[in-house]
Amino acid sequence: MTDLKSRLLIAALAATTALTAAPALAEGTLTVAQRQDPANWDPVDTFLVAWGSVASNIYDGLVRRDENLDLQPGLAESWEVLDEGMRIRFQLREGVQFHNGEPFNAEAVKYTFDRLLGEVGGAGPQQSNYTTIDRVEVVDATTVDFHMAQPDPVILTKLSGYGAMIVPPQYIEENGQEHFDMNPVGTGPFKFVSYEQGARIELKANADYFEGAPELDGLVFRFIREDATRLAELQSGGVDLVSDVAFSAVPTIEAADNAGIVAVAGPSIYSLALRTKDAVTEDVRVRRALNMAIDKQALIDAFLAGRGSPIASLQGELSFGHDPELEGYPFDPQQAMALLEEAGVAPGTEMTIDYRAGNSTFNEVAQALTGFFAAVGLNVGLNPIEDGVFLNEIVPQGRTNEMYQFSWGGWTFDFDNTAYLTYHEGEKWNPYGTSDEMNALLDEQRQSPDQKLREEILQKVAQLAHEEAYHIPLYNEETVYAVADRVEGFVPAPDKRLRLTDVSVAE
Amino acid sequence: MTGFKNFEFVAGLVLIVLIGGAVALSGLLFPDGGRAMDLTARLTAPFTGWNHPLGTDPLGRDILARVVVGGRVSFFVGIVSALGAVVIGTVVGLLAGYYRGPWDMFLMRFADIQLALPFILLAMTVIAIIGPGLDRIIVLMIVAQWVQYARLIRGSVFSLRQAEFVQAAQSYGLPDRKILFGHILPNAMGPLVILATLNVANNILLESSLTFLGLGIDPLVPSWGGMLADGRNYIQTAPWVTIFPGLAIMLTVLGLNLLGDWLRDRLDPLGATK
Repeated sequence: MTDLKSRLLIAALAATTALTAAPALAEGTLTVAQRQDPANWDPVDTFLVAWGSVASNIYDGLVRRDENLDLQPGLAESWEVLDEGMRIRFQLREGVQFHNGEPFNAEAVKYTFDRLLGEVGGAGPQQSNYTTIDRVEVVDATTVDFHMAQPDPVILTKLSGYGAMIVPPQYIEENGQEHFDMNPVGTGPFKFVSYEQGARIELKANADYFEGAPELDGLVFRFIREDATRLAELQSGGVDLVSDVAFSAVPTIEAADNAGIVAVAGPSIYSLALRTKDAVTEDVRVRRALNMAIDKQALIDAFLAGRGSPIASLQGELSFGHDPELEGYPFDPQQAMALLEEAGVAPGTEMTIDYRAGNSTFNEVAQALTGFFAAVGLNVGLNPIEDGVFLNEIVPQGRTNEMYQFSWGGWTFDFDNTAYLTYHEGEKWNPYGTSDEMNALLDEQRQSPDQKLREEILQKVAQLAHEEAYHIPLYNEETVYAVADRVEGFVPAPDKRLRLTDVSVAE
Repeated sequence: MTGFKNFEFVAGLVLIVLIGGAVALSGLLFPDGGRAMDLTARLTAPFTGWNHPLGTDPLGRDILARVVVGGRVSFFVGIVSALGAVVIGTVVGLLAGYYRGPWDMFLMRFADIQLALPFILLAMTVIAIIGPGLDRIIVLMIVAQWVQYARLIRGSVFSLRQAEFVQAAQSYGLPDRKILFGHILPNAMGPLVILATLNVANNILLESSLTFLGLGIDPLVPSWGGMLADGRNYIQTAPWVTIFPGLAIMLTVLGLNLLGDWLRDRLDPLGATK
């Protein structure tokens, strides 16, 4: 009976959408426009924010991170860390079903992680985040034990991450991996309806959701590449919410009479890394001088429409390991010039910034940086590079110029994620090496289960990096959304996952 | 009719002399090369002060200075690539048209292949492989355009090689080189000059498109296409960033086309008799 009912409902829905396809604003339906189509909805196959914004509405993990980045129960009701971090026991929620009717239980959890850590996960980018998990053991239908290969202080946060979303075993086994890529099924607040590659994905409310049905009846994500087109759609009423808003468009939206800006501190930081070997920037005085040449606040005001904050280390305020006491180098061109002179760097010395072509905001920032450097007598050129070449050849092989872009969005909001990658021996973003002291600190905090101690060590790491001036930390970007006035209750999360359970639309 | 033709000539000449003159003197007019930036004066509206008569861009750089200096790249690319294509195209066309046979066969099939490749696709592929740069853009444009000249010259040579003065030269035993460059080429020059003038305009547009697509040159060197691309994000809030370089492109291309049209009417023998 219910089956027949829901089929009728789907048919009716399909008919209405077909009839009203042009204005696309069905009652109770929210339409979101974002830049990118992740093109694959399998949690283990992706690391794209574009996936997370959509799929956070389809899937749940054992734990969930809320809008304040605090961990909340998800499909697990509670958990206990045992054996000094070597075992974690989860009590699972009872009576939850996947969208296809399949029951959620301990077996589904085990299946999810066997899949993630096995061959299927190995083909995707998510597996490497979870290699500290040795295996998952089913204790009973609602209890699982995670046996760790080594203690991992951020594993609980990671269990709210993309790769750890719980997937339906029977559905995948019956229909195959490729079917699952294009037809996702989870336990989340919205069910998958249809997907048109490169154009849109449609979801509808899951009335049986374990935390109660969402406010909206339906949710549509449209993929629109051009920044200006997304905003034009918002202004003409074709979409209700736009993500990936270009900062240059913020004043336009603020002035619009049917929409506004909602912003939230984000994970993304921007900086220039400095070449510490075989270059004029080998000298720490030069690196400090370069830091003092830049007016970070002026960059934020000019190019981020004020939507950002200056940083002193490679992390924003929300990051675990952020030290409010640590002050960045002041903007002081006089002292910068004095330091350069002391280091024997003649006025007119040429340097080059390598950066990733294609980001229009950073392209402007890079040009402005050359202006600041010119003001302290340096002749700095720009070298925009294709992403693939920059990320796979120039940086890891240590073939950069004196300065090169380092921007990172550590979604765990734990400084370890960024610091290890940029300061530890042999890591991709550390082609020129740091110091033994730095390596030791980074290793120490990875082994420590004591969060207080870890925080202190990470702050020390930031302090050391600041003294050595390995980078010119620039700013932490806010994530900016343009939202139509008819949308109510939209509270964005800092990690760019758009979970739209509490949002509603006025008629 | 003649009145309009004269107008065409005068208007074209005035446009090109004014714009070309300003661009040629840009080193004197704007010694800083349009690079001076002032973040506090960013996005100043045009016609609001003498410091920045045409306003400023998102980095607070003077748009007038950048438009004038940016013309250097456009003119340089436009003229150099047209000249390069003329030289290569002419030589190939002369050889193919005069010797015919397998030479003609080989060169013209090569030209056909060249014509079958869409330019933007070719440009994007080549630049993705060897990286962007002004020199590469010029080479690409030469590669894309020599064919037109080759075909044009080949056609003229076909008819000229039967002409009496050529046969006379041959009977005197003049070397081929002298016949080709001394007798045939001067008689085929007219259409060549016209095509080259029109192509300079075309090249300026192409350079702008390539720079707009990010396939062009150093972002610190002002260029019209680059300025259009930079202004795209501000078109709703600060349209002047885009309008002035756009106007510069339009007026230059218009001027060159007017001159080219006028030249065609002057040099084309059929046009003259009408």
